[in-house]
Amino acid sequence: MNLGVLGTYLPTLARYVAVMVGIAVIMLIAYRVQRFLGVKQEAATGRTLIMPWLIGFLIFNVFTIGSSLYLSFTEYNLFRAPEWVGFDNFSEIFDLQIAPLESAAQRSSDALPPRYDEVQRVTLGDGGFVIGARMEEFWRSLRLTLLYAVLTVPLGIVASLGVALLLNQKVRLLGFWRVLYYMPAILPSIATILLWRWIFSGSGLLNGLFAPFYRAAGIAAPSWLTNPDLVLIVFVVFSLWGVFGANSVILLAGLKGIPQELYEAADIDGADEWAKFRNVTLPMLSPSLFYNLVTSTIAALQVFEAAAFIDIPDSVGTFLNWLIYQEAFNFRNMGMASAMAWIMLLLILALTALVFRSSSAWVFYQGAKDAN
Amino acid sequence: MTTATARQRDSLIEQPQPSQRRFQIRRIIIYALLLLGAAIVLIPFLWMISTSLKTEDQLFTRQIQLIPNPAVPMNYVRVWEQLQSINPNMTFWRILGNTLFITLLAMFGEILSASIVAYGFSRFNFRGRNLLFALMLATVMIPGIVTRVPGFLVWRQLGLLDTYDPLTWPSLFAWGPLYVFLLRQFFLSIPREIEEAAIMDGANVIQIYVYIMIPLIKPILLAIGVLAFQANWNNFQGPLLYLSTPEKFPLAVALRFFDQSLSKEAPQWHYMMAMATMMALPILIIYFLAQKQFLEGINVGAVKG
Repeated sequence: MNLGVLGTYLPTLARYVAVMVGIAVIMLIAYRVQRFLGVKQEAATGRTLIMPWLIGFLIFNVFTIGSSLYLSFTEYNLFRAPEWVGFDNFSEIFDLQIAPLESAAQRSSDALPPRYDEVQRVTLGDGGFVIGARMEEFWRSLRLTLLYAVLTVPLGIVASLGVALLLNQKVRLLGFWRVLYYMPAILPSIATILLWRWIFSGSGLLNGLFAPFYRAAGIAAPSWLTNPDLVLIVFVVFSLWGVFGANSVILLAGLKGIPQELYEAADIDGADEWAKFRNVTLPMLSPSLFYNLVTSTIAALQVFEAAAFIDIPDSVGTFLNWLIYQEAFNFRNMGMASAMAWIMLLLILALTALVFRSSSAWVFYQGAKDAN
Repeated sequence: MTTATARQRDSLIEQPQPSQRRFQIRRIIIYALLLLGAAIVLIPFLWMISTSLKTEDQLFTRQIQLIPNPAVPMNYVRVWEQLQSINPNMTFWRILGNTLFITLLAMFGEILSASIVAYGFSRFNFRGRNLLFALMLATVMIPGIVTRVPGFLVWRQLGLLDTYDPLTWPSLFAWGPLYVFLLRQFFLSIPREIEEAAIMDGANVIQIYVYIMIPLIKPILLAIGVLAFQANWNNFQGPLLYLSTPEKFPLAVALRFFDQSLSKEAPQWHYMMAMATMMALPILIIYFLAQKQFLEGINVGAVKG
């Protein structure tokens, strides 16, 4: 290795060490200042120890989120200073048009005013209407992302609950099954998305396996990746393969934590399997399910790698995270990208709040009862 | 253990009772389902390895070949020759070095800072502690893309685009709230008496942390180390955004570079799967070696969360 190679590592390493020292110095100063101001030792120590996070929080969260909000009201392409445009970005995104269709055969572009493109077409008998938007990619991508979340989150939870219940049946070699089922989740998602693209490709494994069925049914092998109606399936399969095992291991730990006495008590009351599942397992497992629901909903709305490796047909849109990334770093529309990112942030907050709101109705915390 | 005794008992009884037959059928169904699950996990994975050992002609055969004949391990070398044909500096060692450099620095920063912050959150009372901790957990919900644009602009202003800085030293600011959360749970489970004895002996916070707490939290530190290694090794979004010179790429972005430049028109799946396997291999080895810590680390968060 010559210095040319090290030349890219060493400066970063030097700055890494410098930042480390810098943080230590700041912590020391913060501690001394607090003590000088008469703060008790315990409180001063605690605040000092969380300093690294607090500084990071202020820089990487508070400052960047604030800047992002500001940028969402500007037009900015990196070359000229950000130009304040008020709500223009948002009103462009929310500029939707609904146009009636005179006949089911009429093209959407003929029905919609110029510069508006089709987002969703609804045909009712011999007519119907079409929804168009100026930022049609955003709405198509929002539709795809939500559809993906609505499909993968419940399917993933049901599948992983099934596997967890299975593994909880006093099976032999439990450790082996756990390790095996968890494996897809630790594989690099880059590797697995490429693998699934290969499996779903026109002459890939899937069509190879199903070739006899296609022949029997007399249909051509579908092109999963380019057919707008089928492409979502590829992503759903990729996602489920990646998470069902991982989530089931988490749920299994929850199942193992259910006190055996509860089942014994249910047995004495003459409860059958279903009643035990319904009245003991589900309520006791609800905190784990809740954790699963929250994390998988947030993750489902932020698909990135998969969209980077599979070109999705335009008419379907793409995943929001990838769309925003493209808008910002390929088209250099920093303002518009920030506006979209903010809509996404609010969407995630709203959905999470909804899940949390609903939790009081179905999540059962054992400790909460004891506390009363 | 209970299964073993149950089976022994079963074999002692000659005539299976109806309820026992039901029990046996149930067992068979359970294991059949478990095997089905194993097939779902393993077949795609084996297909990746199988493809990585095929020649280009073998890729699109009509008959499905799980075991390639002949097998060509040379794909693992040739894929790098292919990459070097576009950029002579993109050697295997360079790309591996990049990946390790980013991964290890970020991992070390995460473990160091998260354990210190978690110690502060779990052991010391101060006003605003719970509020700050809740704030920290809430940041999990913020999609990375919101902070990406301003973040990019800041690194650009600092002149640190196309360096490893954005991917490494910000980890020193405890950027992974999940790790802090896991460590805090662990700290809370350690009895306070242990420290109190040390305080009586006149030890200060740094001494207590280094000599008493670190040895006690070693298992969870190892678990977090494994989780952090995996997350940083697999990281794609950060390097994709901040690095632009191909020879600075880590594996994940190099794989995309290969996909986009060499494989766009006619995908060279044997090479791509070879690269994907190479990327997965270290993670798999660590996973199998440290599976106990790994699964524990995940479960601490899930059950107590």
